[in-house]
Amino acid sequence: MPVDSKRICGPEITKNPYNFLINGNEKGELIINGKRRDGRKPDQARPLFLRPGLISQAKGSAYIEQNHTKVICAVYGPREVIRKEDFSMKGQITCEFKFATFSCKKKRGHQQDSEEKDYSVQLLEALEPAVQLDKFPKSQVNLYLTVLQNDGSALAASITCASLALAHAGIEMFDLVVGSSVRIHGNEILVDPCEEEEFHSNTNIGVDEGGVVLGLMPSINQISALTSKGELNFDTTSQAVKTCIQNCQKVYPVLQNCLVNSLKEKD
Amino acid sequence: MATVDIRLVSTRGIKKKSDHVDEIKNLVTPGDVITSDSGFMRGHGTFMEEGKLHASVAGVVEHVNKLICVKPLKTRYNGEIGDVVIGRIIEVCQRRWKVETHSKLNSVLMLSSVNLPGGELRRRSEEDEKLMRHYLKEGDLISAEVQNVMGDGCLSLHTRSLKYGKLGQGTLLSISPSLIKRRKTHFHNLPCGASVILGNNGYIWITPNIDDESQNTGGYEQNLQPVPQTDREVVARLRNCILALAANHMIIYDTNIMYAFEASISFTVKELLKPEVISEMIDLVQQRIDMEGT
Amino acid sequence: MTDIIYSEAEKTYILHGIQENYREDGRGCEDYRHMEIETGVVSNTTGSARVRLANTDLLVGIKAELGSPSPDNPNCGCIEFFVDCSANATPQFEGRGGEELATEISNVLTRAYSNSTSLDLKSLCIIPKQQCWILYIDVLFLECGGNLFDAASVGVKAALFNTKIPNVTVNQDEDDMEIELSDDPFDVQRIDIKSAPCIVTLSKIGHHHVVDASQKEEACCLARLMMGVTADSTITALKKEGWGSLNPESIFEMMESGKNVGKVLNASLLSLLEDEEKGSKRKTVGFLK
Repeated sequence: MPVDSKRICGPEITKNPYNFLINGNEKGELIINGKRRDGRKPDQARPLFLRPGLISQAKGSAYIEQNHTKVICAVYGPREVIRKEDFSMKGQITCEFKFATFSCKKKRGHQQDSEEKDYSVQLLEALEPAVQLDKFPKSQVNLYLTVLQNDGSALAASITCASLALAHAGIEMFDLVVGSSVRIHGNEILVDPCEEEEFHSNTNIGVDEGGVVLGLMPSINQISALTSKGELNFDTTSQAVKTCIQNCQKVYPVLQNCLVNSLKEKD
Repeated sequence: MATVDIRLVSTRGIKKKSDHVDEIKNLVTPGDVITSDSGFMRGHGTFMEEGKLHASVAGVVEHVNKLICVKPLKTRYNGEIGDVVIGRIIEVCQRRWKVETHSKLNSVLMLSSVNLPGGELRRRSEEDEKLMRHYLKEGDLISAEVQNVMGDGCLSLHTRSLKYGKLGQGTLLSISPSLIKRRKTHFHNLPCGASVILGNNGYIWITPNIDDESQNTGGYEQNLQPVPQTDREVVARLRNCILALAANHMIIYDTNIMYAFEASISFTVKELLKPEVISEMIDLVQQRIDMEGT
Repeated sequence: MTDIIYSEAEKTYILHGIQENYREDGRGCEDYRHMEIETGVVSNTTGSARVRLANTDLLVGIKAELGSPSPDNPNCGCIEFFVDCSANATPQFEGRGGEELATEISNVLTRAYSNSTSLDLKSLCIIPKQQCWILYIDVLFLECGGNLFDAASVGVKAALFNTKIPNVTVNQDEDDMEIELSDDPFDVQRIDIKSAPCIVTLSKIGHHHVVDASQKEEACCLARLMMGVTADSTITALKKEGWGSLNPESIFEMMESGKNVGKVLNASLLSLLEDEEKGSKRKTVGFLK
């Protein structure tokens, strides 16, 4: 690990107080009487709030809120590529994903950790197919995503948020990308899981426990991102993918509406 | 049905020493004194010090009259005028293309030394300069002849013959240049239904047999129609055969390619990727070479 | 990886070939190239393996060390993946050149193993909340000839099979705990790899997909789907990779063939490793060709 020489760090070993919770690691049932702990039905997503254009100096920006999951995204560019490598007539996208240090239950580092780097790559791969890269040759677009508060499904929310920001920045795209995630819990598929429902590799035992994240371009019906975690049966996985697709299609009109409204306001 | 071919390294067995290969004499390593006789001329892979001729690479000493050179087993390609090479365009520059030819330096193909579509010989206008990427762009493969070797070893190529030019559909292989036998012709229309270009630079191009008409365009008009399955099989078989020959350090030229092809016919193309099938086939080829005394 | 730009015609040739289920070297779409495996090649490791898949060559070394378990999981040991794309493989990996690819591979491996069923991590625990075994699984690439992900996962599984962790006894005196390590080379603990996954990469080329793509095929491919598949054909990880997108139907098709191929791959690997174990007088070949 690179040493952080830019700031004065706290004591090297501090512990997360949540580890000392009574019954800390024993979580109760996720579903009781067909309802989730926060009262939602298994296939019910959380209310969604979207707004483009929060950061006035950025070329494009967007904000997404799903109850306690809040993500902000800024887009800069297209501008000339700084470090040119090979000749390419295609544009480039860079993507930086960061959890704000205080956004999660546990404290996050100042520098990107491996999970955040992994998310950055996944976001990039989710968005690249949607952007018409040949429309801005030799230049790059920079995307910055910060999770302000994390209550589960941060990656899925980020995908939606980033595509809205790209659209807001006027970058030419084939389609918007809508993100969606599910938690698989035995026979149940829980749409849009919150933090306590999310899959953690160590605490969940057995087959058919896991999570799927998917990015869909709804109008051209193409999947641009797909990742899963946890050991799943083949049929469960395909069922989860289908559920994600359905959910994306539900969110899509909201996204379109939000963009149209933001354009109307400017007139 | 999927096939997965995994095995243990230990089951591979030690390669038996083939009896038909003669012990190679006059092998040298860098620094070895080849001769202290001053009557010889020094060629590639040698250097003079204190009146003695030393080897600078590990390989086989070759005498041609008074000239002594050492030929290493593995080498980058050292071009000579008149060689047939296969190269890949890597850059389009001012009035020239840069071509990767497995040589130490990138080779150069001047706009003035290609046949342009249409007229056989015509002046290169400014128009042509603008259309250079249209003729040959990055990634395109060409066959060409070495026109000149410059002082620093950089090759200048030309394609001013209808047999040279842009290559169409097919497979490119890369083997060591020292395995390619220098012959009168490097273009072979093999009887099995495919043509092979054996580039002196160790690049080999295998392509399904093409009609004569399309050859005359210098490759500018490309046929991107699907290749029939039978042709594809021949090309794949040739590919695996040549790679097998090269892996066993056998000199490659049209006759032994055909021997290998015929020896392999009892196996499926897929099987030719397995080591035991390869060694069986190589043995057959070796026997046949010994028999025919070539 | 080596970025060679291929010509339009070459790509077309490959594309049409895949359409007809006949690839450049005669393989069908679901065939792997020839693979060779040897375990126990590095003596200083707890477990090691070398895999050669056509031109792709890699070495996996596992080191077991004692450490304290993570507070989230006090009763389990841990595994850590690290991938090194050595510049030996290609000069492009020089410096930090291979880092991006290396993190990607280690992320996919971590993802494939991040569930409680693949490996029994509980067996790696010595004293709950205090001491456990940490397995550092390092993958070193020596040569790159395409399909690094699958080869790496096969190597990891083989090396885990080969892993022999010395047995440990805990002596408890009142408040003090003392750990004693057995020095008998046969008094060891093995790792059960029956349900460990292998990664199957499916590359979408044209309208079809292939497994075990060669370097040339990888250049033609727009999007890949990587799957961690176990012997019971459950899926432990899915990841779409590359800058293209896929339509839902083709994803389901790819998953289906990934499942089938993964089953065959796991089965042949396991039977092979068991054979190797049985063969008593085994000569190590090591790195000699």
